[in-house]
Amino acid sequence: EHHCIMAQRLFYPTLRNSLRCFGTTPGWQTEAVAVPQAPSAPLILNETSEIDKNVAEVAREAWIETLDPSGENLHVGLIHLHPKVFATYPRLDIIHENVVWQQKYRMVNTSHTKLRSEVRGGGRKPWPQKGTGRARHGSIRSPLWKGGGVVHGPRAFTTQFYMLSFGKRIMGLTSTLSAKFAQDDLKIVENLDMPSDEAGFLEKLCEDRCWGPSVLFVDDCDLMPRNITVATDTINHINLMPVYGLNVYSMLKHNTVVLTVSASQCIEERILHHLNKPDYHLINCAKCYNK
Amino acid sequence: MATIAGTLLRSLGKVSMTVSRAAPAALQGVSKCLPSNTTCNTPVWTPLLTIVRHRYYADKVARGSCLRHYGYKDTLHTRGLLPHMVHRTRLPVPLYRPKNSWNEKRALFGQNDYIDILGNGTLKPTDVTYSVPSWLRGFKGNEYQMLLRKKKIHGKHMAHLRPTKYLEMNKRIKWLYRYLNQKTRDYYWHRA
Repeated sequence: EHHCIMAQRLFYPTLRNSLRCFGTTPGWQTEAVAVPQAPSAPLILNETSEIDKNVAEVAREAWIETLDPSGENLHVGLIHLHPKVFATYPRLDIIHENVVWQQKYRMVNTSHTKLRSEVRGGGRKPWPQKGTGRARHGSIRSPLWKGGGVVHGPRAFTTQFYMLSFGKRIMGLTSTLSAKFAQDDLKIVENLDMPSDEAGFLEKLCEDRCWGPSVLFVDDCDLMPRNITVATDTINHINLMPVYGLNVYSMLKHNTVVLTVSASQCIEERILHHLNKPDYHLINCAKCYNK
Repeated sequence: MATIAGTLLRSLGKVSMTVSRAAPAALQGVSKCLPSNTTCNTPVWTPLLTIVRHRYYADKVARGSCLRHYGYKDTLHTRGLLPHMVHRTRLPVPLYRPKNSWNEKRALFGQNDYIDILGNGTLKPTDVTYSVPSWLRGFKGNEYQMLLRKKKIHGKHMAHLRPTKYLEMNKRIKWLYRYLNQKTRDYYWHRA
């Protein structure tokens, strides 16, 4: 699979270059959308997903951009995004639930208090039961004493683990993607190839395009091109992520989310696969997350 | 205002003094309450009392407020802005150290939480929670359940390499078993 992805990344640019030379070929494109700029720019089309073609809603359209500002056009093509993934009505309560779940399910509280038996000392009776005028005590580490043990305090490792239902997590993803897209914070990019590996170049590029202070680049493969990896290494607020690492919290933390064409196709395919599978209703009933 | 009142009262006092000196022979203070059949032929002299004030509000004000709680040392600070000046030194205010919300851990928080949805389905989020101790991944329970799980997963390792800790854990397990099953009702289950 890794070899195939590497081959794809080598193959598509060469194919695109050849198209640049010979113009557009009708056989490869099913929905050709005319870009009014120069005819030399290729039309990187996108068909709607194979899984869910019969949708009542209209597919949303987004520009495909490049990270290479030297070309003539900023926009290289147009892509159609599936409405069930990128155009659902965002459920804010579900997004909130997802964020809270992400924060809590991994939480381990290590606060610990010692019991009276665990506190050092306190084995001997401090003074006789009767005779001294003082209160009767059996140990200097009883909870009544200063420095004594704690009775019902926090004990060792406590977890807040729980799993949000599958449907809610999918809805969280679709709601966040839709909200980001609707608010102009979701950008589609042809690929992550950059001409320069300088951090300043990338920062200037993001500023010129009004991409928010923090940017999240999402690609299909977890091995990213060299230039962008070197550029984002020193910048903390510009991050790279593979598709399987995408999550609601990160999408909300970063101002702009930039998907590659292949990443957006992969996300669509995965989410639609889960939404349309026959045993979808069984997932919420399954209690399969405890090892 | 006080001075005006003072002068007015002083002048009234002077008037009363002059009146009292002016008519010694006149019938002053003849009592009118006596009934007509018991009236005496000779008049009765009753001394005229005039109230003369020697205390004036102006003088009170000039004296100032009354000294209260004499000799009492008040340790509260009744004046000034916070922080209070305690023996001429300021209270320690901690230095503000903002957290770097874009260090690697925080910038990539939440990554791989949806790996079972967006990945190929072989991995679950509980499989990739490397920050959580291994015997607690995908687990929630009270202390007794947690200790049993720890013993199940790491018992052999602990018995061999951490004998004291293993012994203490076993003691705690026994104690908790007795407490939960013999000493308390079920609704204390969550607290233990």
